[in-house]
Amino acid sequence: MENAVIRFDQGFLQLDGAMGTLLQQNGLKPGMHPEEMNLTAGEAVTAIHRTYIEAGSRIIYTNTFGANARKLAPAGLTPEEVIPAAVRLAKKAAEGTDALVALDIGPIGELLEPMGTLSFEDAYKLFSQMAKAGAAAGADLAVIETMTDLYEAKAALLAVKENTSLPVLVTMSFEATGRTFTGCTLASMARTLEGLGADAIGINCSLGPVQAAPFIRELAQHTALPIIAKPNAGLPDPETGAYDLTPAQYAQAMLACADAGATLLGGCCGTSPEYLRALRDALAGYSPAPRTAAKRSFVCSPTVPLAIDGVRVIGERINPTGKKLLKQALLEEDLDYVASLAVEQMDAGADLLDVNVGMPGVDEVTLLPKVVKKLQSVVPLPLQLDTTNPAALEAALRVCNGKAAVNSVNGSEESLRTVLPIVKKYGASVVGLCMDEKGLPATAEERIAIAKRIKAAANAIGIPDEDLWIDCLALTVSAQQEQARETLKALRTVRYELGLNTVLGVSNISFGLPNRPLITQTFMVQALASGLTLPIINPNQKELMDAIAAHRVLCCEDSQCAAYVARFAGDTGAPAAPKTDAALSLEESIYRGLQKEAADAASALLSSGETGMSLVENRLIPSLDKVGTAYESGKLFLPQLLGAAQAAQAVFDKIRTAMSEGGETPVEKGRLVIATVKGDIHDIGKNIVKTVLENYGYKVIDLGRDVPPEAIVQTVTEQNIRLVGLSALMTTTLPAMEETVRLLQALPQPPAIMVGGAVVTPDYAQKLGVHYAADARQAAGVTKAILG
Amino acid sequence: MTARIAEVLRCLGVSGQAFEQGSPAVEQLKQEARQMLTGLDAAIVPKTLCRVFPLWREEDSRTFSLLGAYGSPVLTLSGHLVTTMLQDCSHAALLLCTLGLPFDGLLRTQQARGMAKAALLDACGSVLVEEACDRAEDALRSKYPHLYLTDRFSPGYGDLPLTVQPDLLLALDAEKQAGVYLTDSCLMNPSKTVTAIVGLSEQPQGAKIRGCGFCSLRERCTFRKDGKRCDSL
Repeated sequence: MENAVIRFDQGFLQLDGAMGTLLQQNGLKPGMHPEEMNLTAGEAVTAIHRTYIEAGSRIIYTNTFGANARKLAPAGLTPEEVIPAAVRLAKKAAEGTDALVALDIGPIGELLEPMGTLSFEDAYKLFSQMAKAGAAAGADLAVIETMTDLYEAKAALLAVKENTSLPVLVTMSFEATGRTFTGCTLASMARTLEGLGADAIGINCSLGPVQAAPFIRELAQHTALPIIAKPNAGLPDPETGAYDLTPAQYAQAMLACADAGATLLGGCCGTSPEYLRALRDALAGYSPAPRTAAKRSFVCSPTVPLAIDGVRVIGERINPTGKKLLKQALLEEDLDYVASLAVEQMDAGADLLDVNVGMPGVDEVTLLPKVVKKLQSVVPLPLQLDTTNPAALEAALRVCNGKAAVNSVNGSEESLRTVLPIVKKYGASVVGLCMDEKGLPATAEERIAIAKRIKAAANAIGIPDEDLWIDCLALTVSAQQEQARETLKALRTVRYELGLNTVLGVSNISFGLPNRPLITQTFMVQALASGLTLPIINPNQKELMDAIAAHRVLCCEDSQCAAYVARFAGDTGAPAAPKTDAALSLEESIYRGLQKEAADAASALLSSGETGMSLVENRLIPSLDKVGTAYESGKLFLPQLLGAAQAAQAVFDKIRTAMSEGGETPVEKGRLVIATVKGDIHDIGKNIVKTVLENYGYKVIDLGRDVPPEAIVQTVTEQNIRLVGLSALMTTTLPAMEETVRLLQALPQPPAIMVGGAVVTPDYAQKLGVHYAADARQAAGVTKAILG
Repeated sequence: MTARIAEVLRCLGVSGQAFEQGSPAVEQLKQEARQMLTGLDAAIVPKTLCRVFPLWREEDSRTFSLLGAYGSPVLTLSGHLVTTMLQDCSHAALLLCTLGLPFDGLLRTQQARGMAKAALLDACGSVLVEEACDRAEDALRSKYPHLYLTDRFSPGYGDLPLTVQPDLLLALDAEKQAGVYLTDSCLMNPSKTVTAIVGLSEQPQGAKIRGCGFCSLRERCTFRKDGKRCDSL
């Protein structure tokens, strides 16, 4: 493909205005796809483009905003029919002018995972189809616009970049809050899309130019790319939909966007060629604002932008090394457990989370992306993807929303060659480990030399210093005592002479010594004083987080000591008085939903010789039954029923650990499958049932939400399941429940079925010939009756 | 705040009587609900859409259409509920309130933390979105002081089917204006989203649809089992 290089950074470049209203004036009927006009009213479409070119537009957007296969399907059309026609019409209008034709790509019209059910991969396919058709038809560039989901914007951007050589502009729509509907921030958008290789980024739709200008200014602080402003003609009247700015007012307000740093200027809803003419006249003789974005280290999720301009804590807990329960969870793909580790670290104060799933028996290439998706569905923190497998790294970076960090590249030829291009492609930050093919260097000087080599290689491939973090390696002080000093020495040089951010896995230092927390904490404080900015630690260790809170005060990161005071308010500094009351009994702890106390009580019982099985049968289940009875009689309520279940979960974790250590067979009273039926996407009710059943000792195979009948049947057949729980929320999804029941009952050995959910009644269940459970408590009763 | 907390606890099955008696379990829930509502008020800004359409009555008086630009119908309604409600109305307002996708994100996080707090958050969300609907209705009332409002009724309620949702959301341009999507099974996403119809009339409107007779949950309602009603706890 040949494309002349288009420069977006040479002064102002005028875009076009609204298409929809002009199409309506030219015969577009309500309910009709605007894209159909490309086939039925081509001359009108070309005429609209031409009026915009005459009004000064140098880039015109094809009439393909909704031309993805999903949106076109109801009209019986395909992108391959609509897009070439649209490009042709725009090119015809641009003939003999210097106007460029941009393939316009709008949102798919369906929410992506985890909010909706459309997968990232399917979104990518839909966009690829559009990109290929547009490029083949001869578009000069592509624009991705009106996005509210950064994940969807990423899918579209990758689709254009991987399937064409077109330059690509990306704009998203922000609310007056400075966030999109999905919660994406301006900073996250800028950092992510620039990293992924967009040619220009900005804002379109939603706001008028007056409201957009401050957001443009904020964007300009987060990107060096040319900035696009394509706002509406003011704000709409909520009843009539009419926009409140005249062409002259709009053009005047657009100058504020220009002053804020935008150079690609156009209009969205409510604008017309008249507005664009006014804009052209206003821009005549006007100059772009100077741009001075400060270079900053940055990672982000869509909703949490994280500047690395102080100490930032990387949580280390998602790493199977030495963690039995996590190992087991990863082998069983029990991602809820992994998610709970993430939330725990977030609550303890981690700023980003290291994610490592490498262990024998798992395929990292498939597992790491799954874990990334799961984690991003529950925690908003940025992630650091930790793997030595380049294929797993690429697979995970691809589906990771936002700007991630990568742990790690090292100074070896092979590592630099394989890892850095992946980091560059996905716009991540990367940790450079100060080691190479010769192994671990013994001196600070050797480490610094490797850091410099990594820096040169990263810079050469286009990864700037801000995106490179150096790990000077903390070794075990009990084995190599003199190495601690070398690490600190290297750290100082890397931080203060090379000016790079620094990462350190601090906990290694104390391995094999008594009172490990003391050594770890002391070393971490020394490292922070030597220029460590990104300690990798267990944030659940209070001593470490306390020390970081103190450090932030002493180096002025914690303005007016506010966070420190909040952390220690009410703390007198005196040692906590020992608890006078004896430890709570297991029964009492569960009744009151006290997780830690329940776990402690279980540990005590286990170490006094009680078996796991006896603990479950003779203590745990009677306790849960007592809670259940109290719930039924209105003494306790749903949150407390679930609180008890969570406390029981903590007990189960203790039992599982003890049993796997003692070689006892795990507690499992029976297995069942649960799911919300096809079409149902809200699943909190099902999750409540799952929590309660798991804590009666049942193994719950949770197939999730929106589950097709066939998938349920397949699991039941493959795993010989004797009980299936189905939930349906809406009258519209009851047919899917019926279909699932019908298929299950047609099996040679049909499983028992129980149903529940907002619209399900006992009568309905009876009609289907299945069990009914009004709530989680009743579901436990049904399960007990069937599985024992 | 007390009324809101009572409403949250009602969603969790706490009867008015139990609320007043305030056992330790209830008091604990009250405290947690208060804390959670305060947090949500700071974190979540509900989004509201409201548009008023002229109403066109078909000759049989059993079908009503809301008319959009150029007088074309954007939504056609029929059935017992509609004929009862809109009989005297010249206009009807379509209403949408949503807590948005970020609330669902909070709910996912909370579920990973533990289902106990998640159940509470879910209940708080339901209360918040109902409050937003009440505010939108109040705004409508002040905007049209000379008109009387009917009860607010939602698709899925009485005999008004969920299948009106696609047209209803389209009429409000809900995807673009509020980030609300509809699945093929007519479920709205974000989860805490409510759509409703309110009739506007020059005649005073009595309450016509409150009560169990119209409620789709009547057969399994725990309040009814106890001989009570949710609106008179």
